Formats: sequence, structure tokens, C-alpha cells
Amino acid sequence: MLAETMGTKAVRAPSWKRLGSMREAGLVAIILALCIAMSFASPHFLTLGNFRAMLMSFSVEGIVVVGMTILLIVGGIDLAVGSVVCFAMVLSGSLFLAGLDPWSASLIGILASALIGAVMGFFVTVVGLNHFITSLAGMVIVRGLCLIITKGTPLSLFTLPPAFKAVGQGSFHGLPYVIIIFVAVVVLFDFLLRRATALRKVFYTGSNEKAALYSGIRTNYVKFWVTVLCSTLAGFAGVIYMSRFGAATPTFGVGMELNIIAAAVIGGASLNGGSGTILGAILGIALLSVVTSSLVLLNVSVYWQDMIKGCILLGAVSIDHFLHKRKAS
Amino acid sequence: MRTFLSTTAMAVLVMAYSAAPAKAAEESPFRCEPGEKYVMNVMVSGVEYWFPVYEMFKQAGKQLGCETAYTGTPEYDVNKQIASFDQALAQNPAGILVHPMNSDPFIEPINRAIGQGTAVVTFAADSPLSKRISFITSDNIREGTYAADAIATKLGGKGEYAVLENPGQDNHDKRVTAFIDRMKAKWPDMKLVGRTASNQDPTKAYQGLMSIVQANPNLAAVFMPEANSAIGAAQANKESGGKILVMCADVNANILDMIKAGEVFGSINPNQGMQGYMGFMLLWLAKHPELIDPMNDAKRAGFNPMSIPFVDNGLSIVTAENADDFFWDKYLKRRGTKGIEE
Repeated sequence: MLAETMGTKAVRAPSWKRLGSMREAGLVAIILALCIAMSFASPHFLTLGNFRAMLMSFSVEGIVVVGMTILLIVGGIDLAVGSVVCFAMVLSGSLFLAGLDPWSASLIGILASALIGAVMGFFVTVVGLNHFITSLAGMVIVRGLCLIITKGTPLSLFTLPPAFKAVGQGSFHGLPYVIIIFVAVVVLFDFLLRRATALRKVFYTGSNEKAALYSGIRTNYVKFWVTVLCSTLAGFAGVIYMSRFGAATPTFGVGMELNIIAAAVIGGASLNGGSGTILGAILGIALLSVVTSSLVLLNVSVYWQDMIKGCILLGAVSIDHFLHKRKAS
Repeated sequence: MRTFLSTTAMAVLVMAYSAAPAKAAEESPFRCEPGEKYVMNVMVSGVEYWFPVYEMFKQAGKQLGCETAYTGTPEYDVNKQIASFDQALAQNPAGILVHPMNSDPFIEPINRAIGQGTAVVTFAADSPLSKRISFITSDNIREGTYAADAIATKLGGKGEYAVLENPGQDNHDKRVTAFIDRMKAKWPDMKLVGRTASNQDPTKAYQGLMSIVQANPNLAAVFMPEANSAIGAAQANKESGGKILVMCADVNANILDMIKAGEVFGSINPNQGMQGYMGFMLLWLAKHPELIDPMNDAKRAGFNPMSIPFVDNGLSIVTAENADDFFWDKYLKRRGTKGIEE
């Protein structure tokens, strides 16, 4: 199981077979099936504009999903990501309004987010609390910080310089910078998670912490830094959101953590740790986006949208689970 | 002697004259007893919407020589709001102006407050089955209606429109329903082409509107019953050509800047100040029923004669022309007060 998740292969199979045996193949098939069905149901689904819209809608959240997936693999969870995204936004925004240039303000926002991760990591690895309760407390505390910083009032960042706004709103030869950044983050961490020794320790720690410890891995060290990484990526996403919307609202990101965790789990990450891939998690959030877009395009009543979305997701995960189980046996 | 007499007479006159207003003030029935305190109680207490409400609640309190306090829970949680309501009630305030997050869970706490002699008025959301004295709110139907008229007038009565919703929140649902009903009734050439739930989330609003635009490239307007979604909707509008009129309800600094820049067409804003001021007056009158003696059976039957079930606090249509008057920080600066911190 672990070897498969990590992409280890004893015998090299033909490339099409290897693709088919990947953990994510089932999810890709489900998304493709949904896309094909939607292309018949709505002539507006299979258009470049719609795909661009869907990609734009989950790109920034996708950066947070990357951090969450790695944290889930190590056996942790971070319920504070929505609050941290908001915190990075409002801290950077308020520093900018106080006169700091937006780049420096953003850097401070990201570093402060990393610090929040470090504090949570401290409570998990030194004090000995679990990730769930630590991040639950973190979620409340950080949301409180957002209210303190903004005094409950959304910050209007209309005066952000165009160069900074371009990060969230501009494009390079028609390709939005947001998508470029998202793809870069995904490719980097997917590669590191599959190939880099440091991140492969995340799998060992998450699948069997004791065994990892006996084999010389400093598991607390791994858990600490993965917690910091998750918060840092959330902070990074917050800064991009600030650039994208030209605003920083103290209620931004409420409930975001559920979507993020759902995406990672749909993509194959286990809540017990030890398994998961970045690609799978991104496919998970893509599936969520496709379903949302489909329901809008089909003009489904707003009162039915959530229920239908939940049912489709449950069905998709069940099919994926079934396919994966069959493959494993 | 004559000088002495005239000086004495003058002194008596001056004293009598200066004492007259004080005496009049003392005799005015519109004064609080020392320590008479009125409390405002809300959920998600850090949100800007409440601040102008409390500002005028506080002002009415000051004018009548009463104490006021801003209370509530920072969370979107009815249990926690009830706990904060109970904590406020434990201090035996004269009255509580409460925004009950959900109507029925507040029946018992409100009735308990009334039972112990604390007047209760609800605002912006109601608990109609409780014994609260009054309910003051914006007329959500009128808000939706005005928004529809503003958009349809701007578009010459013809075009495609969509709505981004927050299903489940009563006042938002009413605004949306009224908006659509008005379009159907008065503007038959305005065609509803898309509805989706953005749930006050800018990212969901962005994706929702982008999807609607894909299917309806001629979309001319979009309405949402709150302000947060307008941030995402405006961004989606920018990316899809900027031809859509974005209209929302409620305002904050960011929305006001967007209205001024033309990214958001306008907003329907409830008159929060009157909500607070009249909310206080309703509470105060409920606590001082001896001031009124209406022609009914209140005295004989022993119920509170101060009975005004519903008050409409009015609304404003905020556009680029008047947006400057709705900035909270400018308002506080103009008034020289500290908002909810006093």
C-alpha cells in the first residue's frame, strides 16, 4: 500500500498500464465521465471559457490543498487553514494601509502565517497535543486575530498598485498568473513528495510513526515542519487572494477547511495518515469545482444544489474506493 | 441699600433663571434612573454591520441619561449567543435589543427576560413567538423591490439577469424573492437566466457568476442580497468583459470603493442608525409604560400598553453619488466617537 502510494515499483510495466494502475486513475475516469455527461447536458460546459473559470476558481484554494495533503499524509490535520488564509490577507492588507509596500507586507503576512504553523507545531510535537484540537484552537484564535486587526471591518485595498494586483488578476500571454503559480506549486510539491528524501519521510512518519522513529527518522521534526508548511502555504494563498480581490475581509475563508480536507480525502489522502498524493488532491478539488459548475450550468435550484453535490461526491468517492479496492486485491 | 436690593434681586433672578432648565430637566419624564442600563446583543459581534446600529443605540441612551453596552458572541453559533444573552440578563438590565440568530431558540430566553422585568426588542431578525415587545427591521421586500427597479431602469427594462443567493438566511431569501417577483411583475422583459448559492463567499460568487456567464454571454445584471459576494462577482465581471451591473445589499468600505470605481453598480443599505435609535426608544418606552395611557384595556388587564409590533427602519440606495456618506471610519471621525468601544 505504502509502496504503491509512494510510486515505488518493483517491475517496470508498460506506461499505459502504469498510468492505469495509478491511485488517481479512478478519479480521472470519474471526472472525465462527468465532463462527457455535462458536455451533452450543456453546450456551455465544454468551452475554453468555462474550463478557465473552473481552473481559476480552485487555483488558489488548490495551493492550500497541497499543504493540507502533506499534513494529512503525516497523520495530522489543520482546521485553521481558512483562518490563516484570512489572517495573511488582513495582516498584509493592514500593513499596506499603514504605509508598507504590498510586497513587504505580503512577505510579513506569509512569515506570520508560518509562525502560526510553528506555534501549532510546537503544541503538537513538544506539548503533545494532537493536531485536531490544536488546530481547532488555532482556528478560533486566528479568526479572533483577524477581527482584532480589522476591527470587524473589511479592509478596502483599492489603492494596491497595479503591479501587485497583476499577480491575482493579470495574465502572461493569456494564461492567468494565478494558474501559473498554482501549477508551479503543485508540480514542485508533487515532485518533492515523490522524489525528495525529506518529504518521503512524511509517508514513513504518517504510516507508522513508531517504526519511522526506530529507523532513525526524527518524526516530531517532520511533523513540526509539515505543520509549518501547511500554514505557510495557506498564508501564501491568502496573499494571492488579497491581490485577486483587492480586499481583505475578516470573515473570508470561514468553512474553507472543510472543502480543503474534502478535496484531499477525495483525492486519496487518508485521515489516518500514510497515504495520499498531491495530484490526487488536486483532482479532488477539480471534481468539486466541476460538480459546482455543472449544477449552475444546469440551472439546478439553489435549494437542491448542496444535496445533489453531496450525493455526487459520495458516489464518486465510493466508486473510486471500489475501483481502488479491486485493484489492490 | 438700593444697590444692595437691586443686586440681590438680580442674583435671585439669575439663580432662578439658571435653575429653571435644570428643574425642567429634572422634571422631564424622559430620563433614566441612575444605573439604568440598556444592552444590545448580537451574534458574530465583530462584524461591521452592527456598529452603526450600536452607535445610534448609544446616542439615544446618552440623550436620555442611560447606560448602554454592546454584547454578543463573536461566533455564528446560536448556543453561544444565547449564553451571551443570559450573561447580559444576569446583570438585570432595563432592556435588551437583541438580534436573535434563530427565532425559536430565543423564545425561552426572551420570555424569561420579560418575566424578570427586562424589556426585549428584536432587530433585523425576529423571534415572533416570544413575548418580545417590538421588532424593528428593514423591509426586505422593499429592499429587493428597489434593487430590481434600479437595475431594470438602468437597463431600460430589458435584459438578462442572475441572482447569487444565501439560501437559509431568512432576510436574504426575502430580498431575493422580492427582487425576482418585482422583475416578473413590473419588468416582463427582464429575464432570469441563472441562480446559484454563493453563501456570502467571494470565491463561490466568483465561480458561480463565471459559470452563469459561460451559459449566458448576454448577462446584463446580477443581484446578491449581501455584500461579501459582490467582491467575487465584481472580479468575475471584470474578467468576463465588465458589462454586467453588479448590485448587492449592505455596504462596507470595500464595497463602497467598488461602487465609487464603478465595479459595483450600487447597494441597498438598511438604515442601521435608525434601527439602533428607534430600537432604544422602543425599549425605553417598554420599560416606562407609565408614560402612556392608550385607550385600550391594558391597565385593567395588566399588560404592557407599549405595544408596537413592527417598525420599519427604512433603507438607502447607495450609488457612486452618495457612497462617501457611508464609510464607517469617516462617520466615526465626523462624530468623534469610539464606536462599539464605548
